[in-house]
Amino acid sequence: MTYLLGWSVIPQIIVRRERWSGRYRISSIPLVQPGQTVQPDQAVIRIERLKAIEELATIPHLSLPGVVDPSVNIQRPMSASNAQENIQREVLPAGLRGRVVAVTQRGGVIIESHAAVLQGSIGAGNQVAGILTMWQPTDATGQAQVIPPGALLVVPGPLNLAMLHRAMASGIIGVIASSISSRDLEGFLRADLIDLISSVDAELAQVPLPPLTVLFTEGLGTIAMPVRTINLLSYYQGSIALLTGATSVRQGVFPELVISLPPKEVQEGWQPLQPDPAVILGSQVRVCSGEYEGAIGTVTYLFTHQQTFLSGVQARATHLLLEDGSMVTVPLMSVERIS
Amino acid sequence: MSTQPHVEGGKGPNSGANPSSVSSILVADCGTVLTKVSLLGIVENQYRLMARGEAPTTVTPPYEDITKGIIQAINVIEFITGRHFISEGRIISPEQPIGDGVDVFIATISAGGPLRVVVLGAVDSRLEELTRQAVSGLYAETHALPAPSFIATTAAVPVAVGASNTHFSQNAGGQWTPERVALEWERQIEGLRDLQPQAALIVGIADGPAGPTPLQEACQLLISAASDSRDRQGAVAGAGSTSKPTGWQRVDTLYAGAPQYVEAVRRMLQGNSDVTRVDPLITQAQIGPTSIAAGALYDRKVMQKLPGFAQLRDWSASAPITTATSLSSLVRFLAQHYAMNVTAVDIGGATTTLMLAGESGEFIPMVNAGIGIGPGLGAILQRVGLQRITRWLPFDINEEEVRQYVMNRMLHPQVVPTNLRDLQISQAFAREALILTVEATKQNNFEWLDADLILATGGILARVPKYGQAALMLLDALQPKGVTSLALDRTMLISQLGAVATVAPVAAVQVNENDAVTHRLGTCVIPFGTLPRGEIALRVGIEYTNGRQVMVDVMSGSIEVIPLQTNEQALLSLFPAPTVDVGLGAGERARAAEEIDGGLVGLIIDARGRPLDLPGNDKERQARLLQWMQAIGA
Repeated sequence: MTYLLGWSVIPQIIVRRERWSGRYRISSIPLVQPGQTVQPDQAVIRIERLKAIEELATIPHLSLPGVVDPSVNIQRPMSASNAQENIQREVLPAGLRGRVVAVTQRGGVIIESHAAVLQGSIGAGNQVAGILTMWQPTDATGQAQVIPPGALLVVPGPLNLAMLHRAMASGIIGVIASSISSRDLEGFLRADLIDLISSVDAELAQVPLPPLTVLFTEGLGTIAMPVRTINLLSYYQGSIALLTGATSVRQGVFPELVISLPPKEVQEGWQPLQPDPAVILGSQVRVCSGEYEGAIGTVTYLFTHQQTFLSGVQARATHLLLEDGSMVTVPLMSVERIS
Repeated sequence: MSTQPHVEGGKGPNSGANPSSVSSILVADCGTVLTKVSLLGIVENQYRLMARGEAPTTVTPPYEDITKGIIQAINVIEFITGRHFISEGRIISPEQPIGDGVDVFIATISAGGPLRVVVLGAVDSRLEELTRQAVSGLYAETHALPAPSFIATTAAVPVAVGASNTHFSQNAGGQWTPERVALEWERQIEGLRDLQPQAALIVGIADGPAGPTPLQEACQLLISAASDSRDRQGAVAGAGSTSKPTGWQRVDTLYAGAPQYVEAVRRMLQGNSDVTRVDPLITQAQIGPTSIAAGALYDRKVMQKLPGFAQLRDWSASAPITTATSLSSLVRFLAQHYAMNVTAVDIGGATTTLMLAGESGEFIPMVNAGIGIGPGLGAILQRVGLQRITRWLPFDINEEEVRQYVMNRMLHPQVVPTNLRDLQISQAFAREALILTVEATKQNNFEWLDADLILATGGILARVPKYGQAALMLLDALQPKGVTSLALDRTMLISQLGAVATVAPVAAVQVNENDAVTHRLGTCVIPFGTLPRGEIALRVGIEYTNGRQVMVDVMSGSIEVIPLQTNEQALLSLFPAPTVDVGLGAGERARAAEEIDGGLVGLIIDARGRPLDLPGNDKERQARLLQWMQAIGA
């Protein structure tokens, strides 16, 4: 099941997420303690230095044939990029509003937050925090939209390779879009997507990827973004959000965007939603394969007996009223509840 | 010939069901993608399959409880039968006078992924093969990382080992300098980091030039990996307010190396890994103890850690066992009961299983973990490449469409192919999943058993819209020779009947005969040898029980289906061309002493040749595929 929280869009829920550097061989120092309240733009982690190769010195070395001097210094010269990384110092904002509940071994900070969560079908890239910014098509005067560096850009439709390159060149740190072709995404990531989504360690698999985190709400292809998703993202435009792109089918990790709710929305009596993924009459669902892939519809009937599809395969089925008003019959296994 | 050990499941807390008093059984199979539950009951003094239900498996968020999927599948059975089996989240047991509840619940499991085992120490190619054989019947995948000192003393120049092998590609010559040794260490630690093993198997008897050093290095690698992993410990997104720990999973060690160093290894790994000693792995005769120990590790590290497992165990009359273990029991039983060689095939979402059992007790299991037509599609494409997939398709398709299909199916493995194109792509992958599994079996140097009966199950086979599609997939992938029979288990029950037999053996036998193996596809005759191009390969004489006689000439390169329906029998005579063999030698005629059985497809004559050779020209190939599909009714 793609949606770990049950639905693709959950407007109010309590989540705990670890904010961490997203990189290995660096030293992360938490700047906050458990019990402390944090704001989305508050620095919570300081990255200090590269541990790099000295780790190797701790490995015992044995006498091996051909080894003249086993005690020789085994540090290798560092590459230019490594050297630059070595002196990097920065602080990371929380990205979430909430309470620190724990600090992890690698220097991450687990924050509990009242949030809206958008879960994607596929994505890539490390965890980043930035300001949600809706992409605007060029206006009548021909002036291009100015997008601040460090933003999380929302493109409410399919993306392509050129747009991804432009986004990265402009200093954007994350993009949320509806879909992309597998070829364009692989071209941008310079990675085999099958390898990437099959990884046993999704975080490790993100390390060599370009520094632009991407989340696709609908997945691969050219599928439009559902209106309710656009509405949620538009509503929180300007908020700081936490974006994670890592996707691993094997590990059960999927991309997500977590937007902490403003305090005014979390008043007394606020209750988190408890999404039920079971498909029942009246459920809003998304079709995830076949001719109607990407279509959103409402369940109007659940067939008692198996139905036969064009392939000849028989399966339990449901009748859907799609957003365009048409009625279709699709296998029950090919729909996912979204709300 | 090899005989694999078999680990039977122990009795669960609710054991003690008296087989003679069992009148209803719920049997659940929790697969990677789907959970299937079957209700067995007594009809006219015979155990029969009463109803089936299935639902997505629920070991991952948002449910994170394996019993939820089982309950959802049971709800389907409740809907069909009008009986109630669940009350307040528990299974009603025993069966009530009004028909609610069941006497026995049992489960088999293949969800949870394979046990990732890294093989360390003095790992040469022979030991690597033995370790592969040792885990061939388990949901496990092995990756060999020979110790640096072992590589240094056995290879003239550094060789590529493990997941990352780029360091030496431009500088592969000369001596093992300290820098090279350091790089080898770094590479091995990276390899372990990439593999994220759950278990380690240390092998080698310390009689090589490197002495015991490889064993010592294996321990040091594990210590370094544990330290590295602890440093990376964090938390990944979980469901709701929880977050799952990541980065550190304690690696358990099986020590199958030199016995005199076992205590030294224990001391070195103290605090980092629990060490279980097994007999040194030196020859094929010694793979049994390693296999049993690895099976126990799988139970402990994978199966028992599935969310909801404790509840499932509590429900069960007998401890849940793996689906592969259950299938192996049935296949061996069938081979001995019917005194024939039986090949069983189970193509699942993340695992493809092939089991060969001989009438004399021979048994070859091959659980190809990670290869399947759900989450395992990506591994198939990466292993075989695009051409081997598209060669089975009777239409043009580009690489992007195939890759997009694979990724979408990996992300949504439960979906049903609704159009013919998707169905044919999935069947192409099923063929390659099976071919890869056959190749893996042969790679382990097991002696092949020619099957008298091929028994097929798994979603992609069981749900075929046309029986001919299942027959063609099996013939294309297994490429049997001579005379064999094909049977399809549409109930997907055969993988559970071994487990059923542990509590109700009579039920297992009766359901197998009454329901599971009732879809007999037919007898197949597969001539091999040198088939004369464009000429008759085989003349087939059929004498039906009503006395009617038919003679059919089968051209080389073709498939013919001769009508012979289920429950029909006929006497078969085969007259091969001089260079063609039907199992008795080139040109030797054959007349069956006993009548052969018909089936849902009929009597299939596959004269396409062995090995099966597909035309290189795309148009010609597609036309040929369509011809074969039409001939067999696919």
